[in-house]
Amino acid sequence: MSACSASSWRSRKRRLAGVVCVVAATLAIVTAIVCGWPSSRAVSAAQADTSAPVTCATCHAGVVNSYAHAPMRHAMEPATADPVLLANPDLKIQQNGYSYSVQTKDGHSTYAVTDATGTLTLPIHWIFGQHSQTFILEKDGKLYESLVSYFPREHGLATTPGDQHMKPKTLTEAMGRELPQWETLTCFNCHASSAVSGSRLTLDKLVPGLECERCHTGAQQHMADAVNGNFKTLPKSLKRMSTGDISNFCGQCHRSWETAVRAHFKGPSYVRFQPYRLQISKCFAFNDPRISCLACHDPHQPVNHDQAFYDKKCLACHGDAHVASASASAAVLPMAKSCPVAKANCASCHMPKVELPGGHVQFTDHDIRIAHPGDPYPN
Amino acid sequence: MGVIRFSTLRHAPRPFRWWHAALCVTLILGAGSACGLAQQTSPTFDELAAQAAAARDQQNLPLAIDLYTRAEQLKPDWQEGWWYLTLLQYSSNQFPGAIDAANHLLQLVPHAVPAMALRGLSEFEIADYKASLRDLEMAVDHGAANDPHNEQIIRYHLALDLTRASRFQDALEQYRLLAAKNISSPEIMAGIGLAGMRSTSFPSEVNAADLALYQATGVAGFAFLFGDSLQADTLFQQVFAKYPTTPNLHLFYGVLLFSHDAGLAADQFQQEVAIAPANDSARALLAFALTIAGRFQEALPEAERAYAASPEMEMAQIALGRSLGETGNIDRGIPLLQKVLDRDPDNLEAHMGLAALYGRAGRKEDAYRERMLCLKLAK
Repeated sequence: MSACSASSWRSRKRRLAGVVCVVAATLAIVTAIVCGWPSSRAVSAAQADTSAPVTCATCHAGVVNSYAHAPMRHAMEPATADPVLLANPDLKIQQNGYSYSVQTKDGHSTYAVTDATGTLTLPIHWIFGQHSQTFILEKDGKLYESLVSYFPREHGLATTPGDQHMKPKTLTEAMGRELPQWETLTCFNCHASSAVSGSRLTLDKLVPGLECERCHTGAQQHMADAVNGNFKTLPKSLKRMSTGDISNFCGQCHRSWETAVRAHFKGPSYVRFQPYRLQISKCFAFNDPRISCLACHDPHQPVNHDQAFYDKKCLACHGDAHVASASASAAVLPMAKSCPVAKANCASCHMPKVELPGGHVQFTDHDIRIAHPGDPYPN
Repeated sequence: MGVIRFSTLRHAPRPFRWWHAALCVTLILGAGSACGLAQQTSPTFDELAAQAAAARDQQNLPLAIDLYTRAEQLKPDWQEGWWYLTLLQYSSNQFPGAIDAANHLLQLVPHAVPAMALRGLSEFEIADYKASLRDLEMAVDHGAANDPHNEQIIRYHLALDLTRASRFQDALEQYRLLAAKNISSPEIMAGIGLAGMRSTSFPSEVNAADLALYQATGVAGFAFLFGDSLQADTLFQQVFAKYPTTPNLHLFYGVLLFSHDAGLAADQFQQEVAIAPANDSARALLAFALTIAGRFQEALPEAERAYAASPEMEMAQIALGRSLGETGNIDRGIPLLQKVLDRDPDNLEAHMGLAALYGRAGRKEDAYRERMLCLKLAK
């Protein structure tokens, strides 16, 4: 290399280094803007516009908007604006010698039960569920689960699942099943927000459905701090939890495997408790993210009922090794046997639908297995 | 029907609640007795038997006892005679005689359940609580408490025997069965309070001041066992307010809550150890309840203390093993749980703990094996 060419090379090298520095700086600024700026900008914008309250949506508009349609957001419907009761303003059924009616007028719903001795009418304040709906009723300071519920498949009322064995002898018994303290706490804690504080019900503060704070503990504090420019007090990241921990986390309401074992769950009545069923599966592994609840379900989105949607989740473990090895996870996580029968609609065979006894609905059994027609329901 | 009424019954035994039982025994033994009578018709015996029955019908208990005794001397395998000697001597407060007669009958018919129950009640009266516990427990196992007329007296005395033997949970189960039928009395209330607060005394042995505490606690406990959790909570809060430093009150409420909600129970145990820091059992229960509730970080220090105080206590071993493993110390946690299984191979909580810790350790097959074992054990 000549001195000239060496000098020229050094010069080019210097210019190149300069370009790299500029690009790097630009990238750093862009990264900073992309990662940090939207939040602070959104909060600042909200601060500037004092009429706009700061909410989770101020910074996380996308996820909040999609979550507005997610089932957990509608785990309890507002008593005055329940689409189901507004669309079905006059529901009636007769059973066990009692007449039941759920009537909605001017946005207010009442639940009435009648026998030869008279009629008991109570206002409906709490509507549990988005599609099938059960009502929690208050009488003389006690809370009751309505003995009849609404079922969309029948477009009408029928006995609340689990209460089929009840033989009411009085109007109050016919109205509903009295809820013990712990069951009340669990029900409201899983269907509403701010309804429970410690071991006490705080129904005056209740917000129907699950708000962000219910799962993202610390979200309110994070929001308050973010308004003041402090982004260090972030809620714990649920995405980073292990598969086992996520299963237990979701299992707080959807019932964990441990809850099921301790409570001696048996039979298809418990098929609706997915974390429990999933952990029965042979393929469940505590640290394998491919079998996590979150691998298939985004709790901020409505449930996807297209079975084909889940195929790639199954194939992440059961796909062909040479295809799967292209993905990062497959490099460290072992592959399982691939299905000799099909590569599509895996869930239709391996996660059969099970009719919930008395539930007027079918649930997907999350006990993933080779299911043969006529096999008994596995406990 | 109050407990007192049974004492009354003993002194003025009409109408006999034991008629049903007597008839049962007569029916059970009837065929054999009739055969025996036909084969050995001694006029003297027949006369004595007839006179004894007449004296019994006339409620002349001393004469009836004398005649039955003389008849038995002529025909020692006369089962009906031994039965009436048991019953009449028990009713006359002649407990050693009643026990002796019951012994004869039970030698002839080892499963004469009413005789077993009466012997147990007689043994209670002569303060042979160990024998009384054995007989009453066996009698209840064989259905002696199925007759509603006899249920209260048998279950109450069995509960007292169990309390005396420090089997407080078993005693509370007997009280629960009474409460479920709304069978109550001041003695039952005090008995519940004593068993709940881990005292081996009987209500009759407690001074008036303490009796008020035990009865108030028992009333709260009764409400809980009856199924009125809301009322029970109100009553327990009143007792806590009145006796803020009395040990074992929160322990009792925690024990009642435990099978329904481990988290609520843990809150009570926490208050108990605040009142009585040296109560190792309460601390072990606290650690265990926190573990069941999945509050492992909180459970760990309590479990460490409980284990240090009572290293052989199974509950402390499980709580420590599980909470250690769940908080990152899997290598120390697993051996502790295995140690529990060495002594108690079917311990469900230890197997559940191992399932979780094997999962965390990436031992997928071991975790699956433990989960399946748990399902079997839970059945």
